[in-house]
Amino acid sequence: MKYALFLGCKIPSALPAYEASSRAVLAHFGVTLVDLEFNCCGYPARNFNRYAFAAAAARNLALAERAGLDILTPCMCCFGTLRHAIRFLGEDAELRSRVSEALAAEGYAWSGKTEVEHLLTVLARKIGVDSLAAAVRSPRTGLRVAAQYGCHALRPGNVTRFDNPMAPTMFETLIRAAGATPVDWPRRLDCCGDPLHQANTPLSGRMTRAKIADALESGAEVICTACPHCHLRFDAVQAGSSDASIRTLLYTQLLGLAMGLPADFLGL
Amino acid sequence: MSPALFQTALYASLALCSLGLVWRVSAWFRVRIGPDARTVALSQRVAALLRGGALALFSRRVFQLAGAVFLDLLLQRRLFANEKLRWLGHLLILTGFTLLLLMHALAAIVTAKLFQGYQPTLDPYLFLRNLSGAMVITGVGLLLFGRWRRQTGLPQARRPMDMAFVALLGFVLVSGFLLEAHKIASPRAFYRMSDQFIGSTDAGRLTPLRAVWASEFGVAFDDLKLPIDPRLLEQGRELHRSACASCHTKPVSAFVSYPMARVLAPVTDLLDTGRADAWLLYLHVFACFLGLAVLPFTLMFHLVAVPISLLVNAAAPNRDFSLAGRASRRALALDACVRCGICDLHCSVAPLARYLGNLGLLPAHKLQATAALAGGRLLGCEDVALRAADGAFLCTDCGRCTAHCPVGLDLEDLWEAGRGDLAAAGLPSPAQWVQAHPALAWAESLERGPAEHVDSGPDDLLAPLSADRRSFSRCVQCQTCTNVCPVVAHSMDSNHGIDLTPQKVMNLLRLGLRDLTLGSRMVWDCATCYQCQENCPAGVRVADIMCELRALGVRRLGAVRSLRESS
Repeated sequence: MKYALFLGCKIPSALPAYEASSRAVLAHFGVTLVDLEFNCCGYPARNFNRYAFAAAAARNLALAERAGLDILTPCMCCFGTLRHAIRFLGEDAELRSRVSEALAAEGYAWSGKTEVEHLLTVLARKIGVDSLAAAVRSPRTGLRVAAQYGCHALRPGNVTRFDNPMAPTMFETLIRAAGATPVDWPRRLDCCGDPLHQANTPLSGRMTRAKIADALESGAEVICTACPHCHLRFDAVQAGSSDASIRTLLYTQLLGLAMGLPADFLGL
Repeated sequence: MSPALFQTALYASLALCSLGLVWRVSAWFRVRIGPDARTVALSQRVAALLRGGALALFSRRVFQLAGAVFLDLLLQRRLFANEKLRWLGHLLILTGFTLLLLMHALAAIVTAKLFQGYQPTLDPYLFLRNLSGAMVITGVGLLLFGRWRRQTGLPQARRPMDMAFVALLGFVLVSGFLLEAHKIASPRAFYRMSDQFIGSTDAGRLTPLRAVWASEFGVAFDDLKLPIDPRLLEQGRELHRSACASCHTKPVSAFVSYPMARVLAPVTDLLDTGRADAWLLYLHVFACFLGLAVLPFTLMFHLVAVPISLLVNAAAPNRDFSLAGRASRRALALDACVRCGICDLHCSVAPLARYLGNLGLLPAHKLQATAALAGGRLLGCEDVALRAADGAFLCTDCGRCTAHCPVGLDLEDLWEAGRGDLAAAGLPSPAQWVQAHPALAWAESLERGPAEHVDSGPDDLLAPLSADRRSFSRCVQCQTCTNVCPVVAHSMDSNHGIDLTPQKVMNLLRLGLRDLTLGSRMVWDCATCYQCQENCPAGVRVADIMCELRALGVRRLGAVRSLRESS
């Protein structure tokens, strides 16, 4: 298996542990990751200019297509954004022609071949839960883990095709594969608050804290994330607060620990 | 040139240069970038420098500093990692320029003291001078070629003064070579020397020597026919050995000037009559003095700012600095940036800059805007300021600019400070300026605003769903969207009220009152979690429409924004 690794903007600068742990885990399963110099997925422009958003996303898809690769991203926002762009370009001929023009000016073209996968969809569907479970050397038995699904990967389900958007199970299945116990928590499908962090900081904070409180009440010891935005938001809100806190762990760190990979490989 | 004139001009330009340096360096402590920098006094910033400098110099960090001087400064390893061609160009300029400065401009006080029997017309000095000049010219050429070759389709950041200085540098080099070439070919220069060292200017008596200088030293005597009788040459060589040879080697080693002298030979008489040696010297020397006088206000100021910036970097990372130290580093960064544009090449939102037609997104341009804002020059130009603000708030803080910067600037710190300054100057992010007024007030402004402001192009591409009734006419106002919306749920108490609910936004669209939604809290506080869209029983793409309304709001409300602010 070979993918172009789409790290997005947050991971290299703010969460290098996610890159390190993703590489370590994927390498174990024989996934080759190719580094291309992608641009911003386009998300920041969605609220600004639909054409610029679609063109920026399409440029990434075109870069991967030129390299003959599909995209794997550990970021749920990048994943959702790229999937959205594919939908918009598919349903809007005028948008597609303007975007194609912009890409052609730089010598790029996107024919629609590129597939976009999230790290979790690759682990669960391409590598398979059985293979993951088979690689586990020191299962995290008894660890109660709350799965943070992440809105932009999950919804709208017809665009992202991540899992059943109303009752997803993929993340819990992956947690079980690491030997840990997934916790059922009422707010598991709620927004982490990150998209509103700059636009409305107090509202964003209320949303994040509600999730943390819910995870704790539900008996979770760890919130497990698979998106740098969710992960960093939980950490940031907890860093500035004296309320009860919960540990955050990236899924690749959880799985990596269970596989017996050295902690420093996982950025821990 | 009279020594008095030379000295007066030299000291005048040195004085101007020193004053300029003091002024520019003082800016590192005066210029305030970022709202937090306004809370630090100048004295605190100077104290932070002295303290930090002392700590770095009298600790083990001094080895780090030495390493930085060698690897980062002299070998320019960060530039090497980025662009080999530019690195070569830069190295050629730096080496050539240093050699010219020490061996040529300061020959009397450096080279002559170090090497006995130094004469500018003897090898290896003659050859080395040409080599150094050629290195600088090649280096400048490589840098310009590197800039041209990029062709990203986006203009690169530059200051007019920088290009003027490059032109001046080119002029100094070309005039220097021309002067040397002319002096090689000039019979007038020959006679001046023969008068001084042989005591004769008699052409007939000097014919054997002239024969030697014409055939072997490139002097363009118009009355001598080549080839010359070997016996005459033999006679001339005798005289040459006794009178000239101690100061002159054959100028063939001046591999730039000598071929130029051969080219100039046919017009040498004319140039001699016009006293080209004198005015070329004036031009060359005064161009140098002009460059020296304006140096602190040109690109060359990076010769001061970059080494200091690199040393400060080596002393400690920016985040370990006190606020006073960071404030100074931001101001220093404005001067240490050479507008090489390598950041622009790697910027993750550079494609957005192209698609939006807004250079304000690109780091090198953003740095110029930050400098302009700090100097109070940005706000005078509303268009530029607004575009700079758009650019600043679309930056994703991916850190690639910082990672690639060849002079190691902490650009993210600068961007964050710049965003703070923009917000303080009334140019915050769209979410903030829109929410400064209630939705109703915005709708009224749109109604009153001149049509050409409000209707700037069709909405179909920007907001096709909200422009098409079919996308929301199925809404039956069942309130499912509102019931699943986390923003509504977290805004239920009286302190955090929301103005509209998602279902009401859809209803306003159904009523054809789209403008009423554009400034609403609900639209701008939408978390894009897609619960509404996923749960809508009628299949209305609520969240997609919310995104469109924000994009539309940025454009339509932006058009009447200045009207609102001034009313």
